[in-house]
Amino acid sequence: MSATRALLACDVFLDEIAALRDRAGATLGPVAWLEMGLHDHPDRLREHLQKNIAALEADPAVETILLAYGRCGNGLVGVRAGRVPLVLPRGHDCISVLLGGPAAHEAVLREQPGAYFYSPGWIRGRRVPGPDREAWLRSLYTPRYPDDPELVADLIDADREAFAHQNCAAYVDITQDAAAESYCQACARHLGWTCRRLPGDPSVLTALLTGPWDDTRFLVVPPGRLISASADGRLFAT
Amino acid sequence: MNDLLKSLNIAVETGKRAEAKRLTQSLVDSGMKPLDIVEQGLVPGMSAIGEKFKNNEVFVPEMLIAARAMKEAMIILEPLLAQAGIKPKHTVILGTVQGDLHDIGKNLVGMMLKGANFGVIDLGTNVDPEKFPAAALEHGAHVIALSALLTTTMPAMKTTVDAIRASTVKGIKVMVGGAPISQEYCDQIGADGYSPDAASAVDLALRLVGETR
Repeated sequence: MSATRALLACDVFLDEIAALRDRAGATLGPVAWLEMGLHDHPDRLREHLQKNIAALEADPAVETILLAYGRCGNGLVGVRAGRVPLVLPRGHDCISVLLGGPAAHEAVLREQPGAYFYSPGWIRGRRVPGPDREAWLRSLYTPRYPDDPELVADLIDADREAFAHQNCAAYVDITQDAAAESYCQACARHLGWTCRRLPGDPSVLTALLTGPWDDTRFLVVPPGRLISASADGRLFAT
Repeated sequence: MNDLLKSLNIAVETGKRAEAKRLTQSLVDSGMKPLDIVEQGLVPGMSAIGEKFKNNEVFVPEMLIAARAMKEAMIILEPLLAQAGIKPKHTVILGTVQGDLHDIGKNLVGMMLKGANFGVIDLGTNVDPEKFPAAALEHGAHVIALSALLTTTMPAMKTTVDAIRASTVKGIKVMVGGAPISQEYCDQIGADGYSPDAASAVDLALRLVGETR
């Protein structure tokens, strides 16, 4: 019987992992999902990962933990397991993973630094820049400042300013989700951005679930060692 | 503490622009020195919202409206500071590294540095590495402050530090910051200091120019 692999994943990958898991015939033990967006606060992400790794490795059947993450604002740097090895794809974040590696991701950004990436997971969260983000912000801020509609309007305007430097909605497609792609197009229209479809490459996510984990695309962290990053951005274990 | 100052702290912290302008003008009219208004009226409000952001109590838009409120108040105060002959003792060259278009963190740092009476030359975003030492030379700057928000653009921070060290600008201090940046990375690329947020960027800059608060 093969070793039991647990999966700790960002829920931004729900759709892709559901589609690839069966296709690849991957056998997984326990699976834990963390909410998307934790990379905004890398320290919080690290804390959540560490807590979930501890819970997963407390199960004696688990022999390896697969992390469906990238560096994610360096929230993964400093993470460790005590008893089992960790496996994670080399890449900046979910976009690197969905595009099949950091090189493809970097190439898009070099060509178009104003690209903002969309995927089914991010679209499900409905917090991507677009028509529904404003409604979400309004529902967040109105109860907080019920007597000050002017302030709520200011906050929504400030949020728009936070994305002012982006100019292209780049949809990363692995699951051929027509609804998600068309939503991305609607966001681009709403914002006055261009829209671009990037064909995803499922090979990294598939290989994470099934193995083998070659050193070019994956970091395998031995038990007790820390995930670290070098100045040139390469991940290693210390 | 002066009630007006306290109200100004709150107006900045809560991003009430009109209120911040009105209170700043009242304090000016009461004869308070413009630098004291900046240091005691504006900066504490920005520091307070920065602390809440760090603790995850507020989001980016709250930070941005606070910065807008401080900016409006500074429009009243800057000409008065110049008139009073208050000249910044030290100049900082500020910018987001090549390939990175994010400017929120950088702008907050710029605002806080101005509040601490630093001269700030903001080169904007997506700045070529060579432009930093060139601007430092042109403006006789003491510090270069680099920002990067993405791990994809972190290598450009190293390239920029290398370009500064290889330039004819000698003895200048380089400080770095941004969500994925750490003290460890700062040490790896040979920068002089790392700051985790805009408020501590001021303390760091002061330390780098050999001053303390």
